Amino acid sequence: MSSLAVDVLAGAVGGGTAIMYAGLGETISERAGVINLGTEGSMLGGALAAYAATATSGSPWVGVLAGMGAGAALAAVHAVLVVARKANQFASGLTVMFFALGLTSLFGAAYVGRQIHALDPWKVPGLGSIPWVGPILFDHDPLTYLSFAVGPLVWWLLYKSRVGLLIRTAGEHSEVLLVHGYSTNLVRYVSVIAGGGLCGLGGAQLSIAYSNAWFENMTVGRGFIAVALVIFATWNPLRVMAGSYLFGAALALSPALQARGYGINQFALDAIPFVVTILVLAVLGRRTLLAAPDELRRVFETRAA
Amino acid sequence: MSDATIPAQAEGGAVIPKPRAAHGTQDAADAAGGGTVATATLVPEVPVAAGTPGASVDPGVPPTESRLTGFGRGLARWVAALAGAIAIFTVLLLVKGANPASVYADVWTSTFTNQPSIEQIFVKAAPLLLGALAVVVPARAGLVNVGGEGQIVMGAVAAGGIGISLGDRLGGGLVMILMIVASMAAGAAWAGLAAVLRLTVGINEAVSTLLMNYIALDLLLYLIYSPWKDPHGTGQPTTAELADTAKLPYLGTTAVHVGFVFALIATAVVWVLLRYTTWGFRLRVIGGNPEAARRAGLPVALLLLSAMAVGGALAGLGGMVHYAGVEYKLRTGITTNFGYIAFLASWLARHNPVSVVVAALALAAITVAGDSLQIDSGLPAASVNILMGLVLIAVLGWTTRRKSEGKAR
Repeated sequence: MSSLAVDVLAGAVGGGTAIMYAGLGETISERAGVINLGTEGSMLGGALAAYAATATSGSPWVGVLAGMGAGAALAAVHAVLVVARKANQFASGLTVMFFALGLTSLFGAAYVGRQIHALDPWKVPGLGSIPWVGPILFDHDPLTYLSFAVGPLVWWLLYKSRVGLLIRTAGEHSEVLLVHGYSTNLVRYVSVIAGGGLCGLGGAQLSIAYSNAWFENMTVGRGFIAVALVIFATWNPLRVMAGSYLFGAALALSPALQARGYGINQFALDAIPFVVTILVLAVLGRRTLLAAPDELRRVFETRAA
Repeated sequence: MSDATIPAQAEGGAVIPKPRAAHGTQDAADAAGGGTVATATLVPEVPVAAGTPGASVDPGVPPTESRLTGFGRGLARWVAALAGAIAIFTVLLLVKGANPASVYADVWTSTFTNQPSIEQIFVKAAPLLLGALAVVVPARAGLVNVGGEGQIVMGAVAAGGIGISLGDRLGGGLVMILMIVASMAAGAAWAGLAAVLRLTVGINEAVSTLLMNYIALDLLLYLIYSPWKDPHGTGQPTTAELADTAKLPYLGTTAVHVGFVFALIATAVVWVLLRYTTWGFRLRVIGGNPEAARRAGLPVALLLLSAMAVGGALAGLGGMVHYAGVEYKLRTGITTNFGYIAFLASWLARHNPVSVVVAALALAAITVAGDSLQIDSGLPAASVNILMGLVLIAVLGWTTRRKSEGKAR
């Protein structure tokens, strides 16, 4: 039983990382007042770009950069539509998701089943041998280790840095930015595109580090989970980190049980992350909405024509 | 329940009283924009718009002299947007190494020049149209229903449940009616749940419907992998086939089933409901200004719930017609993103119940073209999502005059 717990928790960390990156990216974007349902698309784009670049160049780190670039580029489409053209944020995000789904299907077909030199797990000497803690935290791929730092970094960026102040002001009271001579649009562009880059990094972790494979629509809803995660983490990067492990655990539960021969219908377990999200949102209730950046709440509550 | 919702609404309304007032007038103009009188309504706003900084950004906002030139300009924008989308798609095909000319020629030939393909467009348009109406009705009240996919799945599951358990025991007509009722109830319940979550605990419906799509899909998979699995089936698990008597009849000698007619009837009903009934008017009031609606004493909670439920019922019916008209078995991938495509169709049509027919047919045609693409050119069928995405990007970004200068900061 204890090995089951270790398996699930280790899977939570490794499998939750992709969701965490996407959630952190979405946090930056939403803090600036833009909700991006295209996270799913940015993740897919990042996953394929990372895989293809790794296959072509032979270096997974080139792949990581390519993944971030692809995620950022797709988010830029959303940014242009929403910031410059004032399109509806939900419709625009889904459109970008479809666009990315199509692009990755067209250009990804050649990479299905192709072998790559991936980012292998690397057991931290010493720490990795600690019982329980070692396998859960210190026997992962490099991008997972990186995420341990990126979460706090995003928190620091948003709450302790000048850039973060601008981002949060764009989301709370954009007129203040205007008064002080900043361009709200510029801040939002940067936030959405940087957020997309993190989503792309999440996709890269999924394809070249976690599953070492590319297949069509391989993110299967992780991007949407990230969007929900940001809400129930009340737009706080550190809670996003914790929440992503919760989802990772839910995703890891089903294979871990099946590997032990429990005859559980996989699909009932697959629904758990989504049910859990709704339940958590329901329990937190209005508190989450009160914590929302003001301008984001406007997106949620009024009809953007 | 209405007691419980009042604080929530007051909370939302109290935060930003000023933008709400401005928003109301915008929305009135916008609501009118759905009809043919758009330009007439917008004319008084033009001098204001011309003076704002936003107007200089967008050269396409001239004073509108007559309805005809306004229409011409609108048409020009659409043509330009579509041409741009196709141009980018062409470039992508070139990058991929395909010959765009022959790809387009092949797709055109196999999609639009033979009867079975054209019939396929109408077959696919039926659930798309119903799914799009499921977005249109809640949108009238300002709700964003991204859950068409899940509601379609739930409708198909409900119809499948009836079909499997009663399909060969009762008369075909009775089974059909039961399937219609069950699917609409299931879709309404699934969407209604999202509305209840919004009204009681404040979960945004766009987020909850999105998540519930995956729950519905997992439920479908769960059912077809164990309890409802056809014991005689081979290969991919499916349910047993629907009894012949309960299958939706075809229209004449075509392969188009009667579901398309259902969808057209539903469109007409929605159009009448939204345009000529008090209910439709009240939904529009809420969509324009929920605060004003509540102060006027409208039962906002009930109206929002009913808008979502009606939408869900329509999507559920979409699932039923696809199951009983085409698939006859529940299987993995039965919906193939119909709900999401329908969402985009509704936005393409700007939530106008009449334009939605055209949008659904257009997107159905693109979907069928995707199958042709796969067969003729060996490109993945999902590649057409690129074209769909590009068309939507063009339409969302570049076909409306930007009237929201007040909000643009």
